[in-house]
Amino acid sequence: MDANEQKSDRPTEVRFAASTTSVDAIQRAAYRFGDRFSVELLPGVDEHICILRSRDDADLDEETENFRVEVLDQTLRVRIRKETEPIRTMILAKAFSRTGVVDPQDLD
Amino acid sequence: MSRFRGAEAFAASGDDWQLLPFRFERLNGRVLVTNMVGEHLVLSGEDFEVLATGELPADSDLVRRLRAKQVIKRSGERAPLSLLALKARTRHARLAESTGLHIFVVSLRCEHSCPYCQVSRQSEDRDRYDMTLATAERGLDMTFRSPSRSLKIEFQGGEPLLNFGLIEEVVRQAEVRNRDEGRDLGFVIASNLALLSDEVLDFCARHNIHISTSLDGPADLHNRNRPRPGRDSWERAVDGIRRVRETLGVDHISALMTTTKRSLDRVRDIIDTYVDLGLRGIFLRPLSPYGFAIKTKSYSAYDAERWIDFYREGLGYILELNRQGLDLTEYFSTVILRKMLTNVEPGYVDLMSPAGIGIGALVYNYDGSVYASDEGRMLAEMGDETFRLGHLEVDTYESIMTSEALLAPLEESFALSAPMCSDCAFETYCGSDPVYHYATSGDFLGRKSESDFCRRNMAIFKHLIDLYENDEFARRTFLSWAGR
Ligand code: SF4
Repeated sequence: MDANEQKSDRPTEVRFAASTTSVDAIQRAAYRFGDRFSVELLPGVDEHICILRSRDDADLDEETENFRVEVLDQTLRVRIRKETEPIRTMILAKAFSRTGVVDPQDLD
Repeated sequence: MSRFRGAEAFAASGDDWQLLPFRFERLNGRVLVTNMVGEHLVLSGEDFEVLATGELPADSDLVRRLRAKQVIKRSGERAPLSLLALKARTRHARLAESTGLHIFVVSLRCEHSCPYCQVSRQSEDRDRYDMTLATAERGLDMTFRSPSRSLKIEFQGGEPLLNFGLIEEVVRQAEVRNRDEGRDLGFVIASNLALLSDEVLDFCARHNIHISTSLDGPADLHNRNRPRPGRDSWERAVDGIRRVRETLGVDHISALMTTTKRSLDRVRDIIDTYVDLGLRGIFLRPLSPYGFAIKTKSYSAYDAERWIDFYREGLGYILELNRQGLDLTEYFSTVILRKMLTNVEPGYVDLMSPAGIGIGALVYNYDGSVYASDEGRMLAEMGDETFRLGHLEVDTYESIMTSEALLAPLEESFALSAPMCSDCAFETYCGSDPVYHYATSGDFLGRKSESDFCRRNMAIFKHLIDLYENDEFARRTFLSWAGR
């Protein structure tokens, strides 16, 4: 069997616990790999199931691991964004407001 | 009462450290972290884990680094917010300064017939393909309507020297208008120099005009790219560069290369040609996916990955030459390094978000049509008028800048709200380039995971960060480029 034959071109299934992984994080991760494989997402109460299908010659065994890591990173990104969004809004308001909408006491 | 609550209202109770907005990207086991305004630091995987899990100690080297880059702050601390706000405002100051670059396409005629050329070649019909004085004057009206303190007028073609009389008139009139306006006014002629005469040089010297020309590398490469009667495009360009250097000074000439498939194995030869001519920098440029480049399929043959290798090798060679004592700059890297290492937005149209179209530059075509960018005009040459914003005869600066043809691509391509870009640690260095994405994928945003623009930029950003972090000489050189 040569190397090419070993590459799985069959769909691969990956599962994520719904308690720790959001659909948003999975979708963001899937988007990043759009050039290499497609992801069919089946959201569930306990588990989200992802079916990965290779585009071109992508090696799904290797990509599955990359996808898992990316979903973890996206989960972290979602958390950071949520945690810091109010501060971000505040900084931007301060940066661009000349209208006095922002109470300087709140900021300085 | 303010709509916004104080920072302390968001701190987790009992936590000493509060996260500030940041983004991250993994780089070979290490992690790049960029703060809200794009200042960066590279952490080990373990340090990043500590940051991500929120288990930061009261004090440590890591905590000091994160605080210095405004990635975290102490609960209740307000100075980091003010500092970030100030930096964000500085970075976006250019937005209020629109539009700085005004491109006058004074003639569509050209005596070259380059296969990848982005404009049509109309050599004969002067009346039909040259800009008239009346159109140019309306272009000047619009130029001086833009609020930008600095105005650059660039003459392009075709070959603009074929309509040199008009250039003289526009320069004279702009200078007269500027006596009252007091703007920081500059002129550029983008020419292949084949028609450079002493009269042109003399006029440029008297009016402090900068010359930008095309130089694709050594003679064989350049002449194959740029056929003209006599097959002497390179000889004429080189002769022109020497004459401009001698008459106007080396700081008044710059050259731009067009990269074709044939260039990809020749980056050292190309750079050597620039060095031999005494040029101080080079712009290692990708081939644009517009105009004849699409028609003649030179673009589809173009390999994005090979271009990245070409860029890496070229930059490596330029750094090597700098190590040997030569002062040579790579301009594309410099634009990015300024974004990475300073809070100044260099205003390079392709790397801006909101996109630089209209805001950074407007193009007045020979026939009075106004385009959002030079590439937008090239698409129109191929029959697609998506980026035509209006016409000098009927439109004002205000109607152009609020036209749907400009606002739709600006809004739809905005990187801060675009999938992938909004999370990308490189977003502040990057841009949105709606014209590129429209030309290559049919919509203003493009799918970034499949976009060569994204792939190319990301590879460059990673490479520059890698060199900056791991090569002391590169770091010093980059700092000096960024400060220019
Ligand atoms: S285009 Fe790519 S590199 Fe640029 S900001 Fe978007 S995701 Fe990042």
